Amino acid sequence: MSLAFALTAATLFGAGAYLLLGRDLVRVVVGVTLISQSAVLTVIASALTRGLAPIHPLPAGPVSDPLVQALALTALVIGLAVTALMLVVVDRVAHGYRSVTRDELAATEAARDAELARRRHGEQDEAEVFTES
Amino acid sequence: MTLTLPLLIPWVTGALLVALDGRRPRVGWLAVVALAAHLAALAALALELPPAGALGMVAGGWPADVGIVLRADRLGLVFALASAVATLAAAVRAVLDGVETRTFPGLVVLLAAGLTGLFLTGDIFNFYVFFELAMTAAYVLTTYGGGRRELGAALVFAAVNLLGSSVFLLSIAGVYRVTGTLAMDAVAVRMAQVEPNAAILIAAGFFVAFGVKLGLFPFHFWLPTVYAGARPAVAAILSGALANIGAYGLLRFGADLLPQELHLAATVLVLVGCASIVYGGLLAVSRRDAAETLAYSSIGQVGYVLVALGVGGPVGLAAAVLYAVVNSLNKTMLFLAVGVRGALVSAAFVLGAFSVAGIPPAAGFVGKLAVLHAAVAAASPALVAVFVAGSALSFVYMFQLYQHDFWRPAAPGAASPWPRQLPAAVLALLVLAAGLWPEALLSLSRGAAAVLRE
Repeated sequence: MSLAFALTAATLFGAGAYLLLGRDLVRVVVGVTLISQSAVLTVIASALTRGLAPIHPLPAGPVSDPLVQALALTALVIGLAVTALMLVVVDRVAHGYRSVTRDELAATEAARDAELARRRHGEQDEAEVFTES
Repeated sequence: MTLTLPLLIPWVTGALLVALDGRRPRVGWLAVVALAAHLAALAALALELPPAGALGMVAGGWPADVGIVLRADRLGLVFALASAVATLAAAVRAVLDGVETRTFPGLVVLLAAGLTGLFLTGDIFNFYVFFELAMTAAYVLTTYGGGRRELGAALVFAAVNLLGSSVFLLSIAGVYRVTGTLAMDAVAVRMAQVEPNAAILIAAGFFVAFGVKLGLFPFHFWLPTVYAGARPAVAAILSGALANIGAYGLLRFGADLLPQELHLAATVLVLVGCASIVYGGLLAVSRRDAAETLAYSSIGQVGYVLVALGVGGPVGLAAAVLYAVVNSLNKTMLFLAVGVRGALVSAAFVLGAFSVAGIPPAAGFVGKLAVLHAAVAAASPALVAVFVAGSALSFVYMFQLYQHDFWRPAAPGAASPWPRQLPAAVLALLVLAAGLWPEALLSLSRGAAAVLRE
């Protein structure tokens, strides 16, 4: 059973990592979500005891560990909120700039770097004029 | 009550402020008042703390294994205070500049609630929950301004840090599996009997998670884009308050919960730290944009914290705490000085440059002295050489920046009105005071390091 959990979690993590490296921003969000799901699955798999449902009054015999289920629920809720937030940011990028690929965002950075380099160049000229006069 | 107040004040006011229109100055100042009250509550808690030991309580009167455990000790409080100062100063700057979005003030206050929670919790999973509360607020704050660069920065920031959070959650699952508990005190005791292979794997997970948060050398790739892309007030919060999570996490999880693994990995930590110092310093020298230089400088500065942690022992750990706190103050002040011009702010910037480079009147000197002391205690001339080289590099890039931004006759824009210069100037006074009277800072950091079970 642990092996099945481990394999599933590993597959999820791998698939998520693959998507995360993609260009499409929606894919990046899906990748992050898959990786967080793999972490949640690992949390469930870390339960120390397995058995009947731990509902009061406790049944005779072993009960499953309720703590990890509470942890998993909490982690899921956090994951949901953060996924929604990231999708909103992607939506704003898509609406504002008609682009959902990472290249475009990288192009913005590159344009800024070029602008900075140009300004620096201008300053050097200025400095030369300064020393000449 | 004193233990819950620092958490309740920002939590309740933050939830209320999010519902109000933050663009109105009155709401912004309300957030500043809430943050000031939060800082005062933390200070009151610090005064009440017994000289050696911790204050603890279980929320709601539940038994200790069931309820939410809050625990304040010196280490957590030092970081909580530093973060509270940084958030307060950044909030004042943002409100003076004029808040542009409805939710900004509320989110800053909620971020403060998350940070305080994680510094004052005694349970690993609650640490994760508060961590995510602070991070989620930070993801939204990074989009502040709403331009193309801000949105891009927010996406990079959220994607990379969520990856870090997942790794952190994986390690928590591992800890629960091998120890059967999530309470920090019990974990610290039971971890000693755990099989070394599993323990190393868990420790590596925690190291990656906090390394990403701090922006250490191999995990730094997201940091320059984000710090330079976000607004100065937001960058000040990220580098002055949020980065403290990384330093605190490494100290708490490394030196307190997993000391054996820390010893085992000491050489790796020192090497990674040195790589960070050299890489951050060199790239910072090559940049001209103030925010970008400061971002690379952050990568270099956290290297010192990591090396001090790797050296370990009372001297090393105290140096790590001291350097992390001083660095948080420095970076908050310098980011708040970005984009403002005038006599007050340029004086503050010079002091910040002294502090980053480690020159006497500023607090940075005390920090540099402490890490040098740690290097000497480790009897390693190579470390001393790296530290001195790192300081020299920081001196070069800080004064390059100063010359470029404050000395040029044709500096863009006239002097800003003095209230806008005030947050940076007040922090500069704090840095100066801490440099002139270092005993307070030294005894604080020694007390914090004494808490650790290493």
